[in-house]
Amino acid sequence: MNLTHYKYVFQMQFIRNAGFLIFMALIQILISIGIVIGFTYLLPAPDTQSILYLATGAPTIILIFTGLVILPQQVGTSKTDGFMDFIRTWPVNRSVILSADTTIWLMLTIPGIIIASFIAHFMYQPGYDISWTIIPSFLMIALTSIGVGYGLAYLLSPTTSLAISQVVVFGALMFSPVNFPMDRLPEWLQTLHEFLPIYSMAEVMRASLASSTFDATLGNYINLFIWCVLGFGGAIYILNKK
Amino acid sequence: MILDVQSVTKFYRGKGKSQVIANDAISLQIKEGEVFGLLGQNGAGKTTLVNQIVGLLTPDEGDIHLLGKSVLENPKRARSHCSVQPQSQVPLGFLSPRQAVSIMGKMRAGKNYNSKRLDMLFEALDMGEWVDKEGEKLSGGARRLTAFCMAVIAPGNLVILDEPTNDVDPVRRKYLWEVIRNLTNDGTSVILVTHNVLEAEKAVDRVAIIKEGKILTQGTPTEVNQTVSNQIRMELSLTQELEKEYYPEWIVSSHQNGSRVIFQLAPTHVSNAVDWAKDLVEKGIVIDYSLSPTTIEDAYIELASKKVVASP
Repeated sequence: MNLTHYKYVFQMQFIRNAGFLIFMALIQILISIGIVIGFTYLLPAPDTQSILYLATGAPTIILIFTGLVILPQQVGTSKTDGFMDFIRTWPVNRSVILSADTTIWLMLTIPGIIIASFIAHFMYQPGYDISWTIIPSFLMIALTSIGVGYGLAYLLSPTTSLAISQVVVFGALMFSPVNFPMDRLPEWLQTLHEFLPIYSMAEVMRASLASSTFDATLGNYINLFIWCVLGFGGAIYILNKK
Repeated sequence: MILDVQSVTKFYRGKGKSQVIANDAISLQIKEGEVFGLLGQNGAGKTTLVNQIVGLLTPDEGDIHLLGKSVLENPKRARSHCSVQPQSQVPLGFLSPRQAVSIMGKMRAGKNYNSKRLDMLFEALDMGEWVDKEGEKLSGGARRLTAFCMAVIAPGNLVILDEPTNDVDPVRRKYLWEVIRNLTNDGTSVILVTHNVLEAEKAVDRVAIIKEGKILTQGTPTEVNQTVSNQIRMELSLTQELEKEYYPEWIVSSHQNGSRVIFQLAPTHVSNAVDWAKDLVEKGIVIDYSLSPTTIEDAYIELASKKVVASP
């Protein structure tokens, strides 16, 4: 990894997208607050346990939203307007470009997660018990989401990845055990979620934000690791393909 | 020799199992400090060729050597020796021209980056009023010039410019050609991809005309002109209709466009043509006339469209 190259690729991409990034960070703050507050309206008499599910689910939704929805849309745009081909002519390794972009995506998620967690804590005191594992967990979940997002966006046409990202955002909110326990879902969906990364993301995030209430299994970590490698591996393979 | 393209063939998958040939056994060589024009109509295969030179695409057959080494074996090396101005607009977003060009310069040159060159470029292209504005607020021409500066801020051995003058105003186009010529003084070679033939003729040392993936002809502009014909072109502006029966017999071919008539004639008839035209001016039928050698545009149109303009 050439750090000088990393620095300049990062500067170029960060300043170029500055307007979009500020806008997206604000949207994410709204969405995450919306999940914590808005979903309590769905429940007639939310108990602390339900609110804790929402409060510890919101960060996962932000990370899924960033990696699997916003990112594929952005990649689709730069494929369509030819910017992707231009980046590929830069005199740097493709992994440098991927790392610099990943850093930007990671940074984008942080304000929403922190602000929403503070607001949830002061409004409901749902029982946060933050463990040191939050940092590695955050990185692992974010990288998995970003990696899978890159894999999808590079592998598929812009139109297809846009369609998939629409399904993902709806599926993650309503049909995934992120904001509620897994056992409420029908069995076939439970089986599906044992393979997909969303459930593992939610479990690992919960275990770090409310460590006295939730536990994540080793299986969850392994699942995330595999998806992360698949996603980034696929993205680097496609970036280097001629 | 900077670049040696050896019999490069590239297919694209068409509908079903069919294959479309984008480059058909293309060979060309580019020397140090040379401006090489790649002319051809839309879809002729120019951009495909360029993408193979910088290693974005792999030829199906043939090889490309940059400074003596194969691009196929080391595409990253190719990218550090070549810089590219893409045909599509570079979306600058919040980047100002100064930021975009200086970051690119540092990325390419590292510690050898020379910030004076940036000021020199902006001044040479008269970009002063734009340099610190956000890219997305700039006009198409200003963004195109910024992309040009990004390609030439730290030029390696080869700079590839894909339609650099699109969107650029005529005054700054002139400045642009000067900057391109100055690049070659430092030994950088330039590939100029364009279908703007008239401008290219003045700027290039050698040209290749590509059609349907094949090189039809290549050489200096004069050589290319001669492959078509060595005729003289006469252009007349008329005040009134000139009946075809009054056309002199030494005309090889003619073409009327509104009140303008263009003749092709053999060089031996130049003095006849001048006398004839003077006569018409005195009679008030012709306002003015001009004589010029066949341009590369005539050659290009003849070769690329396969319409035979004239036979000597």
